[in-house]
Amino acid sequence: MQIEVLPNGDSQHLHVTLKGELDALTAPKLYERLSQLVQSTPNLTQITLHCKELTYLSSAGAGILLMCMDNFSPKGITLSLVEVQPEVYNILDLLGLTKLLPVNHA
Amino acid sequence: MLKTSLQFGATTENLPIIRHFVQTHIQKVTTDPIKINQITVAVEELCANSILHGNKENPEKELRLELRYQGRDLHIYLYDPAPPYDLHSYPQEPKLLRADTLRPGGFGIYLIRRLIDRIDIRQRKGGSSVYHLVKHLTP
Repeated sequence: MQIEVLPNGDSQHLHVTLKGELDALTAPKLYERLSQLVQSTPNLTQITLHCKELTYLSSAGAGILLMCMDNFSPKGITLSLVEVQPEVYNILDLLGLTKLLPVNHA
Repeated sequence: MLKTSLQFGATTENLPIIRHFVQTHIQKVTTDPIKINQITVAVEELCANSILHGNKENPEKELRLELRYQGRDLHIYLYDPAPPYDLHSYPQEPKLLRADTLRPGGFGIYLIRRLIDRIDIRQRKGGSSVYHLVKHLTP
């Protein structure tokens, strides 16, 4: 799993690309990286996760996204997912996360 | 009849291997990418539960995953050295926030139940278990 912070973000809006598979092995790394970004970016109001190259999502990955939303929301930070592949969207939808998070199809 | 099996140690390091194994073989019986992914997710969730909870991530504990395609049904067997847990006893809906850990919980079991048509669990002599999942592959 690769997590890249795109340079076109500003101090309030970060763009992050996710590449590979988000599972029980990689999900904690994503949480750790996003938490670091939140801590080091005091004026942050939005994180957009670009998921075009996210090829797989397990329940552990979905759980971490929800945990990010729960933990970042009180700080005034909105999390959204864009360019989500149909297979990954299907799993998010089955879990009801598409009703909780802004999620856009690829 | 397609029949194939994979033996693996109880570590999350093996999850990508399990996924690849399932995807490779399911592609022989269906070309629907959503269905292939759903079966892969369900099998991985079953294996991840056994690795993390039943076997406490002890890589020396060996599990065996077997896939059989009979008629138009896919039969998935997981032979687990740990005692069984009852998939049916978990709440019908996943918890967005568990009171004990303040983290989301039950997503994996919820997905297995949503994505699989039949689930049987059997305790074997000596306390080990067999999980038998059936997925109908006809529309």
